[in-house]
Amino acid sequence: MMARGVSRWWANCPLATKGLVVVAVPLLIFLGSVAALYTISRMEARAEQDVRLTIAIQNDVNEVHALLAEASSGVRGYLLTGEPRFLEPYERAERVVPQVTERLRGSIRDKEAAVHLTRIEVLASQKREGLSLLLAARERTGADIVGDPAIAAGLAANKQVLDALRGEIESMQDRERELLAARQERLDGVRLNGLIATGLLTLAGLVGSLFAVFLFSSGIVRRVQRLESDAVLLAQGEALDEREAGRDEIGLLAVRMIEASALLRAREQALREGEERFRLVIEGVRDYGIFALDPDGHVVSWNNGAERIKGWTSEEILGRHFSTFYPGDDAHARSMRNLADAVRGGRTEDEGWRVRKDGTLFWANVVITALRDEAGALRGFSKVTRDITERRRAQEALEHARQEAEQASTAKSLFLSRMSHELRTPLNAILGFAQLLELDHSGRGKTDAASIDQILRAGRHLLALIDEVLDIARIEAGKLAMDIVPVALGETIDEAVGLSLLEAESHGITIRHDVGPMAPVAADRRRLLQVLLNLLSNAIKYNRRGGEVVIGAHVASDRARVEVVDSGIGVDPGQAGDLFQPFTRLAAGAARTEGTGLGLSLSRTLIEAMGGAIGYAPRADHREGACFWFELPLTAPSALPDLLPARAPLPSHTATRPLTILVVEDNLANAQLIEALAARHWPEARIVNAMQARLGLDLALRHRPDLVLLDLHLPDMDGDWVLRELGASFPDLPVILLTADALAAQSDWAAHGASAVLTKPIDVPALLEAVEQALMERTA
Amino acid sequence: MTRPRKPSDARILAIDDEPANLALVEAVLMREGYRHFEALSEPRLATERHLAFRPDLVLLDLMMPSVDGYALLDSLGRLTSEGDLVPIMVLTADTSIEAKRRALALGARDIVTKPFDVFEFALRVANLIELRLMFQRLAHQNREP
Repeated sequence: MMARGVSRWWANCPLATKGLVVVAVPLLIFLGSVAALYTISRMEARAEQDVRLTIAIQNDVNEVHALLAEASSGVRGYLLTGEPRFLEPYERAERVVPQVTERLRGSIRDKEAAVHLTRIEVLASQKREGLSLLLAARERTGADIVGDPAIAAGLAANKQVLDALRGEIESMQDRERELLAARQERLDGVRLNGLIATGLLTLAGLVGSLFAVFLFSSGIVRRVQRLESDAVLLAQGEALDEREAGRDEIGLLAVRMIEASALLRAREQALREGEERFRLVIEGVRDYGIFALDPDGHVVSWNNGAERIKGWTSEEILGRHFSTFYPGDDAHARSMRNLADAVRGGRTEDEGWRVRKDGTLFWANVVITALRDEAGALRGFSKVTRDITERRRAQEALEHARQEAEQASTAKSLFLSRMSHELRTPLNAILGFAQLLELDHSGRGKTDAASIDQILRAGRHLLALIDEVLDIARIEAGKLAMDIVPVALGETIDEAVGLSLLEAESHGITIRHDVGPMAPVAADRRRLLQVLLNLLSNAIKYNRRGGEVVIGAHVASDRARVEVVDSGIGVDPGQAGDLFQPFTRLAAGAARTEGTGLGLSLSRTLIEAMGGAIGYAPRADHREGACFWFELPLTAPSALPDLLPARAPLPSHTATRPLTILVVEDNLANAQLIEALAARHWPEARIVNAMQARLGLDLALRHRPDLVLLDLHLPDMDGDWVLRELGASFPDLPVILLTADALAAQSDWAAHGASAVLTKPIDVPALLEAVEQALMERTA
Repeated sequence: MTRPRKPSDARILAIDDEPANLALVEAVLMREGYRHFEALSEPRLATERHLAFRPDLVLLDLMMPSVDGYALLDSLGRLTSEGDLVPIMVLTADTSIEAKRRALALGARDIVTKPFDVFEFALRVANLIELRLMFQRLAHQNREP
């Protein structure tokens, strides 16, 4: 537990700490060894000093003994001889012994020796006193000393003291010898211990170093080695195991590597899953044969769809050349031609017959795509094949049906034209002869005249019927071309009213009309007039005598609504729904009014062909009478798209500036038409309008347009003046002229710098064409 | 041919496969006082009759079962020598604008759609006869100054 804690602590230590520890362990052991050696040598030195001291003490003791002995013998000699020369040792002893004993006192630490020393000192001083007494006795007695009892006693006492001293010194010597031996022994012991300690310290140093090396190895080297092997595994794409790695730098590195490994594994997994999914998707696709070819055209992969379409299993087809799928003798050549096309263009698409395993043919749509690696080298081809036999059959059937429908339509047209002819031819004779009879009827009876009149009326009615049936049939067959242009509704209503006045007068009817200002409607003018005449005619015919007809027009959202209101007996609500059916006539009016019964039906067909609507409503003021209305699109941007085919965008000239078109045109309707066309076809274009020549020129200078549409007849100046001025300022500016004067359009305007000349009323496709042409040339 | 002619002297050739219409045309023209009229209901004989009758005006139906009216119009136009004018009036039940344009482009001087108004027809015939006679007078004056 503890060891694991330590080992974890060690692993978590930063590398700097680890380095410190590894260096510090042997260093500390070395310092300890040095301290121990120092201590031992100090101990040894002290022991040696003790020995030396003991020897010095012995020497000093011997010296005291010698000094006293010499002093004693000197005194004896003096006693005998009386010669002062013999007193010298005694004097030296008197002088030196106290010094030596003093020295001894300082150096002796042993208590027993100190006791001996005290005794020695006492004995020594006794001896010196004895000697001094002897000397004093000699002084008194003189030379004759023999027999002197004092001297003899002194000598004897001296001898006793000396002997005692000697004995004391000897015992002290013994003690010192003992001490010496003990100290010597201790010194030996200390030396031995020092030796042992040195050996142990050396061992400790060795072990410490080994330990440090072990620490280094376990803490760093082994882990770095492991890290390296991890790196190798990582490089080989192997997974790394999760493990405790420590929190030092190496540990963090290992953790990062493990994380990297996990990340790599996750990515690899995702990649594998993606590839797997991709493979499953490709393989699972059943409607498309998707397979790969090597650069030579051999099949290298195969999916379910390919198997389903071509009948080959992947085991059968892999490795075979894909020309197997081509029918005919030149299969290989054709297949290789397809590959060559794919190599050249990157991909190639082909439709044609291909052959299945069982030899049956199918109509295939084939896309071959060249596959290249990053260096651009050809690695093979992908091939996507669809079996579109069914579609082809459907297309063929559709085409067949279309042709049949066209034939039927043509046959119908032909039939209508024939019918018209066949009916008109006899009618010609009928009406012609009836007319002749009518001319010559003077002289015949009134009955004849009435009969001739009946023939003529019936014949003309039949003729009207034929014309209207033919019109309806033509419109329904799409054979009646509508010339949709902006039409000023007010003018057309005026015209229709004018044409109806005679008929109205004959019925005693007054016609009022009330048309508000509005933009032109998009309509075929002639057909619009036809509808108006028809509605007015009905309103007159089905009116009461002396009644009135009101025709009005107003704008209803993006449409113009025209209402024709009469003061007749109105329409039975139950019949209102049938009004626009062919040959429907109001029961009440059938007896006394004439008409083909096709007028409203034809009107509805015409209005709907112009993109409008028509209907009946009771009078808004609830008075007696009927209100027939129709609506037509105004030439507003939102209304035109239904009537005109969409066009390609204009050639873009510069990205920095919107396309600007200057329209110099004083006719509001035309200007509005052009604006509506532009909004529809060139939404990116900016339209600048001028209704006068000078203003137009100013605007050109200010806006620098890309194109000018110029009316030749302007209120202030002529258009050709504007053209000249524009040419002087902007030599490259395309100008399209608009003129209502067909003769003026014949002039050579190109020589004056015009790009095109268009006559009014403006033909919309021609205008679009001219604008695009001019801009194209400008950009070119 | 050298003496001045009256409109009533004009020679009119009518070609139509419908006898009733030929009868109507004849009736109208007779009523207007024209005396030289030939009706031809077999258009395949048109060229032959034209050469034999030498008309001042040809009335031609365009839609006939046995021949292509337009081809006939073209070939009849070519029978007239350079510098001469024999107007051809087309009578047709085809009211389409294409038919009108085509006929006029092929040299028809006038076109009247059937059924026609007899007054209008008579007036148009008179106009073309007048044109023919004026042309002849002009040619005559040019020849004999």
